[in-house]
Amino acid sequence: MALTRINIGPVHPSTHGVARLVVDLDGDTIVKVEPHVGYLHRGVEKLVETRMYMQNPPYMEKIDYVAPMSVDELYVATVEKAMGIEVSEKAAYARMILLELQRIASHLFWIGSVTNDLGQSFTGFMWGFRDRDVILRLLEEATGQRMFYVNMRLGGVTREFPEDFESNVLNAMKYMEKRIKSYENFIEKNPIFIQRMKGVGVLRIEDAINLGVTGHVLRASGVKYDVRKNNPYYQYETLNFHTKILSYGDNLSRYRVRIMEIEESIRIIRDSFFKLQSAQGSMVGMPVKLISPKPINKISIVNRELPRGEGLMYMVAEDQKPYRLSMRAPTFINLSALNHIARGHRLSDLFAIFATLDLVMADVDR
Amino acid sequence: MNIKRELLLGTVKKMHEEGYDYLVKITAVDYVKTLEVVYILRNLNLNKDELLEVTITPEDAWINSIIEIYKAAEWYERELQEMFGIKIKDKKLKKLLLEKWDGKGYPLRKNFLWNKPYEKV
Amino acid sequence: MSIDSILKYFYSGLNSPDLLTNILFIIVYTIIISLLVSVFAYLFGWVERKLIAKSQYRHGPTYVGKYGIFQNLADLIKLITKQKVVPENADVLLLNIAPILLVGITILVILLIPFSSYLQATNFGLGLLTVFVLLGFTPLLLFVAGYASGGKFAQIGAQRSVLMLVSYEIPMIFVIATVGFAAGSYSLSGIVNMQSNLFYAFLMPLGLVIFFIAMLAELERSPFDLREADSELIAGWLTDISAPYYALALMLDYMRMFMGSLLIVILFFGGWSGPILPGIVWLILKAVIVSLFIILIRVSLVRMRIDKILKVGWMYLLPLALINLLITFIIVIR
Repeated sequence: MALTRINIGPVHPSTHGVARLVVDLDGDTIVKVEPHVGYLHRGVEKLVETRMYMQNPPYMEKIDYVAPMSVDELYVATVEKAMGIEVSEKAAYARMILLELQRIASHLFWIGSVTNDLGQSFTGFMWGFRDRDVILRLLEEATGQRMFYVNMRLGGVTREFPEDFESNVLNAMKYMEKRIKSYENFIEKNPIFIQRMKGVGVLRIEDAINLGVTGHVLRASGVKYDVRKNNPYYQYETLNFHTKILSYGDNLSRYRVRIMEIEESIRIIRDSFFKLQSAQGSMVGMPVKLISPKPINKISIVNRELPRGEGLMYMVAEDQKPYRLSMRAPTFINLSALNHIARGHRLSDLFAIFATLDLVMADVDR
Repeated sequence: MNIKRELLLGTVKKMHEEGYDYLVKITAVDYVKTLEVVYILRNLNLNKDELLEVTITPEDAWINSIIEIYKAAEWYERELQEMFGIKIKDKKLKKLLLEKWDGKGYPLRKNFLWNKPYEKV
Repeated sequence: MSIDSILKYFYSGLNSPDLLTNILFIIVYTIIISLLVSVFAYLFGWVERKLIAKSQYRHGPTYVGKYGIFQNLADLIKLITKQKVVPENADVLLLNIAPILLVGITILVILLIPFSSYLQATNFGLGLLTVFVLLGFTPLLLFVAGYASGGKFAQIGAQRSVLMLVSYEIPMIFVIATVGFAAGSYSLSGIVNMQSNLFYAFLMPLGLVIFFIAMLAELERSPFDLREADSELIAGWLTDISAPYYALALMLDYMRMFMGSLLIVILFFGGWSGPILPGIVWLILKAVIVSLFIILIRVSLVRMRIDKILKVGWMYLLPLALINLLITFIIVIR
């Protein structure tokens, strides 16, 4: 039978930006998916070579517009490593709290987009966004901005937390726990949802490792790898949390892993606030100065658990400017696995798989 | 670990057998006189990262593909090919990763100036 | 002169032996019903938007008119004044005629439905069968529309509509047969009159569930909205339909929902029967409640996959429909 080739995107309701997929179909079965990327390529890696160190965080935030602070922190941490700047204990806890808040916000965004891609006429989408807004309000309280924070400074964050920040966050976490229960009732217990997700888009563990997928995709396939645990940074090793894994590797596992990650993040935030009280040092980092200290490490490699997976920056430092900065974008490598996962599935499943990989095209293209 | 270009495939194969089964990243750095291709491999069981550096010259920029060993390498290598003009010796990798571009030069090389209007081929 | 006597006069006109009078009355009746359907479709479009917005913690339309009641009108006007784009490799005639025919069929079906014991165009013995023969044309016309537009997304949507037809039509026919059997006639008003003691919803709850699910599929409402699956096929068979025809297709959605809920009410909830209020009010009230239920389902469920729908149709609905037939048979015979 002749193959039908259909072109999905770059403008399509469920491509999350500007992904273009060229899909070869045999009837309703996918023979091959070829993602075409580059519609959002800004050349960030080249751009940062022309800017001074602390001019770059705003660019970094736009790499992943769903979780800007994580990428910002990754970059700043890379610069800190190159210059040998230590982060005080208090600043570390502050950063952890902000990063985990960002992670929850990003995951909620994702829950919304998954239900939307499965065809739920925007209900899950709106619910996810509403709860994400609770987090964004907290982040605004702490940083002064709602989406693009530029909050990381060398050695700390921009400012101290406001006075009632702790109680607000803890209240919000209580609310979030309640909401997660209601997501469970509303989405996860729905038989049609399970039918669409269970056993669909299975990625076996050996393939997952070989394809280099990362983040929740890797953990849903049964690989226990979380940078926060395996290569701990800041004060993550002092906290009590778990790396949640499932071994089925299908869409539902990816969904569940994410929900469990939100729960773990809530625990981390609570613990961090508790530890923050007795932490030493100053939360506020160095003020932004264009002239930065001289780098002491020529090559610095930093990896972080971004909401979407493991992010890694490889920086060759030069006086005042990065000589070369290369970022491992988690969604880039997850998207490259799409063809392998989606082959042999139905066209409808392609969108479910695409949604559960959690792609941000700006992050893929950089 | 700095290795010779010719030894890359063998080394990577050996490391893969030793348990470095996860490819984290392939990237390159242009040091003007030389190009350095960096492979970051990870042993998930031992939780250990290993850096492989291959130094090549811009005039003779090619490198062997490691797709056969790590499927994850495909997009990274396509990116290198496009951004650095490093030819990847593999038949499958003829395609560009990004869309077609009619400019001259390779964007992430140092001789590609970001603030100048680009020359058409 | 009371409303009842007007309706009686109307009824006698509709069924008069004089051909000319008959045709005249049928034309008047058609106009009235079309107006009713349009008003319902319009208002229901607004209600749906508001209700969905409420369940999603939004406001819905607020700007045009009080509570945004004219928002849909504004949208319709916008769509009508827009440029009509016809794809290059489309079959223009079929593409244009299909939505119009779809609306025609929908109104024809509603014309056959009795609104009260006197407000009905005709009362012939095979009303129910005629209705479902006409309904059988809709997937065909959707297929024609999708195929004629020449786009691949529209074609996939069209193929899905035919596949779905195979899965839900047969259980639905079985339920209809059961209803006809229990009522002893295929006349719609006969079925309503037979329910004066006991609604068929209570006689055959299983039948109601099957019919409701099949009707959701027929109306392409969620979770069976595969033909126009917005996150997959952009808009399915509607992808290449533009401007006035798109407005028509949007109205069509609500018209068909009205039709579907009317049928459910007639077959299972005793049609216009009810105390105090006049019959037509009861009928429309019940239809609205059924439609609201359809909307709530739309808000909360994700879309099913086409092969799963086939499975549901053949593995669950069909045997259940047969069981329903059997149970009803035993109850009625006894």
